Parts: sequence; C-alpha cells; structure tokens
Amino acid sequence: MSNPAGTFAANLAPAEAARTPDSRVAGAMRGFAQEVGALSAFRLESCIHCGICADACHFYIATEDPQYTPIWKVEPFKQAYKREASPFAPLFKLFGLKREVTADQLAQWQHLLFDSCNMCGRCSLICPMGIDVAALIGQARHAMFDAGLAPKELYEKAAHQHATGQPEASTEPYRDQLLAIGARFGVGIPLDQAEADIMLCVPRTDIEQYPSAVAALARVMQHLGVSCTFRSEGLVAENYGYFAGSKQWQRDISLRLIEQAIACKAKTLLIPECGQAYTALRWEAADLYGKPLPFAVRAVTEFLADELQAGRLKLGKAATGKTTFHDPCQLVRKGGVNDAPRALMKAMQIDLHELQDSGAFSYCCGGGGGVVDIARAAPLRYRSMQLKLHEIEATGAETFLTSCSDCRHTFDDAKTHLAWEKTPHSLLELVAANLLPTGTPSAAGNRP
Amino acid sequence: MDILGLARGPALKVALAVFCVGVAWRIVGFALLRIRFDLSKPRTSVMRYVSGGLLAIGTRSWPHRQFIGRTGPGEALGYSYHLGLFAVVLLFTPHIVFLGSLFGFTWPGLPSSIITVLSVLTLTLFLAVLFRRVTNRVMRMLSNFDDYFSWFITMLVLVTGLAATAHLGAPYETLLGVHILSFDVLLIWFPFGKLMHAFYIFPSRAINGAVLARKGAVS
Amino acid sequence: MTRGNTELVGEILLRHGISRRSFIKYCTAAASAMALPPGMGAVMAEQLRQAPRPSVVYLSFQECTGCLESLTRSFAPTIESLIFDVISLDYDDTLMAAAGEAAEAARTKAMHDNFGKYVLVVDGSVPTGAGGGYCTAGGRSSVDILREAAKGAAAIVCVGTCSAFGGIPFADPNPTDAWPVSAIVGDKPIINVSGCPPIPEVITGTLLQFVTTGKIPDLDEHRRPKSFFGTSIHDRCYRRPFYDQGKFAKSFDDEGARNGWCLFELGCKGPTTYNSCATIKWNGGTSFPIESGHPCLGCAEPNFWDKGSFYSPLSAPAWGKAGQSTPLEILEIAGAAAAAGAVLGVASAGVSRLRQHRSERPSGDEPMGEQ
Repeated sequence: MSNPAGTFAANLAPAEAARTPDSRVAGAMRGFAQEVGALSAFRLESCIHCGICADACHFYIATEDPQYTPIWKVEPFKQAYKREASPFAPLFKLFGLKREVTADQLAQWQHLLFDSCNMCGRCSLICPMGIDVAALIGQARHAMFDAGLAPKELYEKAAHQHATGQPEASTEPYRDQLLAIGARFGVGIPLDQAEADIMLCVPRTDIEQYPSAVAALARVMQHLGVSCTFRSEGLVAENYGYFAGSKQWQRDISLRLIEQAIACKAKTLLIPECGQAYTALRWEAADLYGKPLPFAVRAVTEFLADELQAGRLKLGKAATGKTTFHDPCQLVRKGGVNDAPRALMKAMQIDLHELQDSGAFSYCCGGGGGVVDIARAAPLRYRSMQLKLHEIEATGAETFLTSCSDCRHTFDDAKTHLAWEKTPHSLLELVAANLLPTGTPSAAGNRP
Repeated sequence: MDILGLARGPALKVALAVFCVGVAWRIVGFALLRIRFDLSKPRTSVMRYVSGGLLAIGTRSWPHRQFIGRTGPGEALGYSYHLGLFAVVLLFTPHIVFLGSLFGFTWPGLPSSIITVLSVLTLTLFLAVLFRRVTNRVMRMLSNFDDYFSWFITMLVLVTGLAATAHLGAPYETLLGVHILSFDVLLIWFPFGKLMHAFYIFPSRAINGAVLARKGAVS
Repeated sequence: MTRGNTELVGEILLRHGISRRSFIKYCTAAASAMALPPGMGAVMAEQLRQAPRPSVVYLSFQECTGCLESLTRSFAPTIESLIFDVISLDYDDTLMAAAGEAAEAARTKAMHDNFGKYVLVVDGSVPTGAGGGYCTAGGRSSVDILREAAKGAAAIVCVGTCSAFGGIPFADPNPTDAWPVSAIVGDKPIINVSGCPPIPEVITGTLLQFVTTGKIPDLDEHRRPKSFFGTSIHDRCYRRPFYDQGKFAKSFDDEGARNGWCLFELGCKGPTTYNSCATIKWNGGTSFPIESGHPCLGCAEPNFWDKGSFYSPLSAPAWGKAGQSTPLEILEIAGAAAAAGAVLGVASAGVSRLRQHRSERPSGDEPMGEQ
C-alpha cells in the first residue's frame, strides 16, 4: 500500500473546520517552532536520516510504506524548527533553504501524526542517536491542535471531557453507573468519602464495556481493607486532552483528579488498568500542575505487586492454562512498570509464555494514542496490529492477559472485525478472582 | 603560494575558525533555549538515572536483540564505515602528526600499507552506503542536500587522500594540497550539516537513557 | 682559457692520450647517471668525438658560490674532464685566471664568436631593486649582463635554486627585489638545475646531455630535466620501508633516529621534493642528508625557504611566526572563533526565547531532569 499522506483530507470537528490557512500555520508555529525548548531542539538537531526508526514501527513494518517512518511524521516541524527557531534560522531564512510550512502540508500530516502513530515509544528504543521520537510526536500533536487540526473524534471527546468531565454524554452519569456496577456484582463502592488514603478512578472503557473490571478493582481494595474512595467529581481516568494534543485541556482534565485527591487528603492516586492515564498523571501532570503533586501516583498493577511483596496480599493458583501477556506500552515501555505484572502472574502460578517481543519491546496493540477512537484509521490499524496478533497466536496460549483497558478494548475490537478467536482478559480481574485470605498460605508457597 | 601552502596555511586557518564559530554557535544556540525541569516524582534514584544515561551511550551502539533482525545489516554497514574512517583518520602517521600539532600530543600509528587497505575497504563501504541511501525507500525519502553533500565531501577527502598516497594523477604535493583543501571544506561544512552528529551522539543517547531510567524503563 | 673551439673533441682526447674505449666508458657512466638507455653512452661518445667543443659562458649573480663549489666536486664527469675535454668554458669569473677587463673581453669575444650557439650558465638570482645596483660586475648590473648574454645563447642552464626559482634572495621579504632568470628572459629555452646547491653530477650531466644531443631534454613543469628530477626523494629513499611500516623518528636523538627510521615527523620534505639525492647522492655517491640523519629541506623546490619550518612535518598546519603553528596559536584562533560562535548562539537563542515569551501558552517543551 503506497498511500501518500495527501490522499487523506483533514478529518476535522465542525468547530475547527472553518479556520483560515494562515491561522492554522500561525497556530502550528506558535505551538511548536516558537516554543521549542532545548531538549526537543536537541532531538531535532540530532537526526541523521538513517531511517532505522522505521524498523521499530508496526505501521511501517505492516505496510512497508516509507511515510510511516516515525521521524518523517514530524517532518514539517523539523522544517519549521530549522527555519524558525534553530541557531541557524537566520541563514535558513536568508537563503531560503527551508520553505515555510503550509496549511496543506499540515493537513496532510494529520494522517501521520494521529491516524498512524500510537505514541508507543518503540522507535525511541531503536534510534542509534537516542532521539525520543515519541516525545517529538507528542509535541507535534500540540502544534496540530493549535492549528485546529486535531482529528474530529479526539477533538470532540476532549472538548466534551474538558467541559463535563466525561468524554461523551451517557444515558446515566458515570457516578450512577459506578454504583449500579457495585450493586450488580455485589461489591461495595466507596464513593465520595471525605478522607481516604487512596483515591480511585476508573477508565470510562471499563464503565461502558468492562464493568467486571470495575468490580474487580473495588473487590481487591475491599479485600485489602485499605482506606479508599472514588470521587464523583474526578472519576474518569482517561485524558482526551492528551490524545487530541491540547496542553490546556489535558491540564484542566488532570486538575479534576488532582483537586479531588487533594480534597480527600489521599496519599496515593491509584490509576486503574489504563496506560494512557498513567502517562498523563504519573509523568505529565505535575509539570502541567506547575509543582510536584502532593501525593503518589501508582498503577494498580504495581500497587498490587507491592502488597504481594509486603505479604498483605495472598493469591491462589489461577487455572488459566498456557497463558501469554501483552505489555501495555504506556505502563511498561514508557512507564517502567515491567516486573509488577509478572510478579502477580508468578504468585498465581500462571504458566506464562512470553510473546516474541515482550516487556519494553512489546508491539503496541495499535489502539494507543487515541488511534482506536479515530474511525478512518481503522483499516490501517487492523493491518498494523496483525504483527501483534501473530505473536499471540505463535505462543499457542489458551489465555491472553493484559493490564490496560484500552489495549483490551482494541483486542476485543479485533475479535469482532478480524474474526480473531482470542479473548483478552484483565490481569486485575484475574487477581480479584484468586484472592486468598491473608492468613492462608499463598499458592506460590512462599512470597514471590 | 602553491596549493599545499594554501591548504595547510591560510585555508586551514580560515576553515578552523569557521568550524569553531559554527560549532559553538550551533550548540549554544539550541542549548540556551528554554530548559524545563521535570516535576514528576522519579521512580529511581538520581544515581540510577545518571548511570542509566551513561550506560545508554555504550549500549545504544548495539541494537537490542528484538531489532537486530531488521536493522542488523544496515547498522553493520553504518558502523563499519565509521570504524574504517576512524582508523584511517586517527592511525595514519601523517594524520597523527597533523592532529598532534593541533592537540600537542601524538600516539602510535599503523603501517601505511594497512591504512591503504583500510582506506580502500572504507571507500567501498562508502559507495555501499550511498547505494543504500538511494535505493532504500525510507532513506531516500528522508534524505536532503545535507545527506548527499556530507557524504560527498567526506568521500572527497578519502579519495584525494588515497590518490595522494598512491601518487595518482598529479604530483604528490598537489594531491596532498587538494586532500588538505578538501578537508578544509569539510571543516567549514561540518557545523552546518549532519556531520555535527559527532558532537551530538553521546549526549543525545545519554539524555534518552537518563529520561527512561528516571522512569525505571528500559533504554 | 680563451682557446679557439675549432678543435674537435676527438682530437683533444687523442692529444691527452685518452683512448676511444675509455671515453665511451666515461660517456656510458654519464648516460647512466642521467638514466638514459645504455646504448646512449656510445652514441654520446661518438657524437662528442665528432663535435667541436661548445662554448660555455658561466655568469654568477646574487649567489654564494655554493653551486660552483658543488660543480667542482663532480665525479662523473669530473669538472676537469668536462672543462678540458667536452666544453670550452670561455668565461667564469671565479674559475678563470684572467681578471678585470681581460676577463670581460674574453666574455665579449666568446659571445661574439659563438653568437647563437653558446650555452649560457647562470647561477644566482637577479636583483632588480635599486636599479639593479645590488649586484654589478664591471660597473654593469646583473640584469643588463644577463639580458645581453641571453641574446646570443642557444639555451640557458640555470644552476641552483637562486637562478632557477629565486632561492634565498627571493625569499620573503626579498630586499633586493631579486628574480629568477625565467622572470627576466622570456625568449630562450631555459633548463633549471635546482638545488641549494644542485648535485654536481646533475649539473655536469645536464650540460653533457645538452651539448651531446644539442636538444633540450624532457622537462618537468618547473623546467627541470625529468631524468634527474622525475621522482621524489621520498619514492627513492632507502628509509621508505620505515615510512610504510609506520616507524618514525620522533626526535634527533631517540631510538627511532638511531635505528634509521623515517624522518617524516621531523619535517622531512622528501615526499614533495623532486631531485636525485636518494639515487646519485653526494660526494661521489657517499651519502645524502637523509642518510646522515637529517630531514630533507626541499631545497630543489620553488620557495623552499618560505614553506614553513624545516622541522615542521609536511602534513602539519603551517602558519604562525616559526612557519609551524604551535598548539597555542591554534588554540588562540579556535578560542576566539568559539567565543564569537557562542555570542552568535546566545543571540539566536535569545531571539527564539523572546518570541516564545510573546506567546502566552505554557511551554510546549517536554520537561527533563530535576528542578
């Protein structure tokens, strides 16, 4: 498939469709070239055009289409940097060595920056110059948002979440749905407690698609007997501002959770099985907040592994048979939560068969970075996720686990659209199903 | 003044000055852009991510096992012509004498017959590198004037050097003059193109390594 | 010395009791020194025997007489045999017995009698400053003498780097406004026999070659006979294997110097100098500078005096007072340039940051490190 970026017209929300080309270019330049800092400048300076990053990217590997080379996805911004903000910018301008970025060019790059990049960070591990390409793409997305070129789906969900706290309207508010899930699964949902050690939040994907995962979270917390609470005003874990490239909205959406955590004097903000929420809150929120967060941010997987280590959590043998595990990029490659899921699986005596590319080198499910929400990106996404599906098949595993709802949703979607046979399961749910009273000896005999 | 006198006299002086101006300009020019400090709580100690950064300088020279199947041949080609170039540049006695007069100290060299063999090998690799750049669709798409000119000028220095030692085509002193003159041009071009990666590669790897190690992630 | 030159060389040889056989031997030796084919010796001998001795006028200008000193130490052919047997040296103010007006009269006569046929040998550069007053003979400037003598010459042989390329008088700052012969005389064939001094056998060999064949030999781009100046000292140097093995003397008294290793690092100009020192050698083939442990100065090349220090390696940067750039001088340039570059860098970063400041959004850059 050789599909030049130009064949894709921009996919825009009505609110952003009417902007003039000049205002788009000015917005993009404001968002990127003029605000480029020393670190991103260094990354742009360092590229030697070796093209090796292509070999890390599942979009390129699946299509062999050169336009999906990761660093090419920021080409207009490289061009803008050289012309506008680099040390030799006056020379580039004076001799006309780099052309001005045009609105058309930006519109063409929407496909490359949003539809065909999960910001999974695999290219950042392959680059011989050590360029963090994914970080550059994140910045380019900010500029695209400022140019009014965020894809319609991401823009609208981000705007909605920014305004209401929910990415989309629901028949019943999430708060009520949360309580209903508790009632249905027979587990207590701690909600709006004035004070708690741990503040919980929930992926909207789980509320809408995987209520069992919500119940599992509540059940595990109940089992551990820790002081925790959900907060109605800060329920949703995902941050569509991050996907759409809006720094401002990302900040405001994160602030809802930060303020609620401060209000209930939480020592820990616990991120459920949601990789993107982990990146947004664990690594990016403090910067947007403007000071260090007054509480810890932890992924539920690493929290449970620590409880296990401390002896407060005992797990029974899980009868999953031959099992394999998908490492969510944001948690593992970009977040460093590498050993925790394996410690939990070991405690449940799971017969783990690692994927060919596992841990930090795991391929993305294809849905990350908001791609799973972009309708027109679906055909390319299905194509690029084949790599992952083949690796899963190759293990011959009966059970397929992961620890991110977005990944789970993406795999479930493949099940529907690609007639794929496997069902992705939640590691958290498996833990919840194999809890042992703390007095009993754990399945693994000793502590892991 | 003859071409050799020009090449190692005034032209070299000008080239060295342009080189220093350009390198300092370029590095200071981006390093003084805004630096923001990460407010998120690191997963690891300062020691761990500093050492992670330093480690990445070395480890990034060898592709991770998971990548080697796809990138191995290309990286082998890339690194081997660099090694050939380093050997020829740093271990040929006339070069050592040249560098010695710049830095004030010298080191032992290799026999010139070995250097000649290495130069010819490096030259072959250089041609292969160009062939790869124009035939590989990804590389061709990414390439611009900088890539081709940087290749050309490095190649020119290599070829004129070989011609000078082999006395091909003109008297030795003329060839030597042309060789040094082409090196002068390379020095002048250096700060403006991708040759700057010589300065960037290690700090860049170190920063990436440190950023990832700070999160406790693999780099 | 103002003998008539009607007598044939063969007759003179007979008078001196020199056999035909030994004359052929002599010519063969000379021919091989010039790297001519072996058969040329006999041809030369035969031609010489049939030829009247050609008249030679030897003019000395701004020079040190080193070239003549060298010439008188020629072994094959010896200067005596050359002068007495092969040529008729009609004027040489240093060697001739006559002096003053008698000497000048001899020159005038030789030039008159052999107009268009004599060989003019010049040693020394020609000063043109102060109306030519820096070097005069018999009240006439060298420029005048040269111009007059050049008119009737069949060819001019410039002996020594001074007459060939200007040499030391021509070197910066050239106070006498000295020039090589080729800068003064444009309409005569010129053969340069450079060197400071030239190798004696190269001088005599070149003269012999010209007088026997009557032809200008093959010359290089500096008008030097290719037979003597065709290859570089470096290419014929017995120390070349050490260069190829990367074995170099680093100082004049180190192990490498004692072992006779290559003198490249001590500034040897062998690679860029074309002469026969490494093959014909000096003092009857006894030795040459490199053999006695000193790097080649490159004295047979134009401007050798102005090409930087004799002890600065060929590939080293060459500027600065001593002709060899010291690390300190290089550091000064590099430092000043880097400082200028840093100022430009600060300026360009400042401009970019000013533009950032004007926009109101929070910085788009990703954070790094600790606060």
